[in-house]
Amino acid sequence: MAREQRERSSYRRYFPPKRKYCRFCERNIKDIDYKNVDILKRYVPERGKIAPRRVTGTCSYHQRKLSTAIKRARLLALLPYIED
Amino acid sequence: MRQYETAFLITPKLEEEETEKLIEKMAEVVKKKKGKMVNIEKWGKRRLAYPIDKLDEAVYVFFHYEGDPEIPHELQRRFRQTEAVIRYLTLKKETRIQPRKGTKSQKKEKMKKAEEKVEAVEKAKKEPQEEPQMEWNEAEKPETEKSTEEES
Repeated sequence: MAREQRERSSYRRYFPPKRKYCRFCERNIKDIDYKNVDILKRYVPERGKIAPRRVTGTCSYHQRKLSTAIKRARLLALLPYIED
Repeated sequence: MRQYETAFLITPKLEEEETEKLIEKMAEVVKKKKGKMVNIEKWGKRRLAYPIDKLDEAVYVFFHYEGDPEIPHELQRRFRQTEAVIRYLTLKKETRIQPRKGTKSQKKEKMKKAEEKVEAVEKAKKEPQEEPQMEWNEAEKPETEKSTEEES
């Protein structure tokens, strides 16, 4: 069983199944800065893709902000477009 | 007056003095156009996440400034001319503008609803919706009168 779950999704390793919640709402953050690479990195696992909402539990408002922030960071080579 | 944030990357090939000169040059542009430099962030050399023009490193500089829209325009023009600048990005910072006259009440309502939603997310499903309605009718009679007027 454990093996099957591991193989099912690589995101699971980064975000183990728990009660999901928006980590930005929790901290009352309004704007997500593209310069804050340490935070952004948590939402770009392995291949450098943006982690989906259903996995991270981020609310729609912050997911939108997050995705633009990540895209801006990519432009300035703070984050990779692709990683293999 | 608007607030802007401009970031740009400089090649590591330049020597330190030259990069300093370049940064000063760009900072002067803001001054000349009567802008107000709020802050200059310098990260120094930093590894790039992916190679740009076969370079693995770059010097990161961030300008935070206020002024007319001509300033970022002029800055971008200069960035394109100087080869030492690899990348640049200009952002208009979001400033909280006062809400419009007409939509003020609507926005308040929205805010209230949003707050109620957040509070009620977990409870809402369990509690039947009839109870709060009963309270409304009893507590605020003028509202019910209004609604009847609309109906008639």
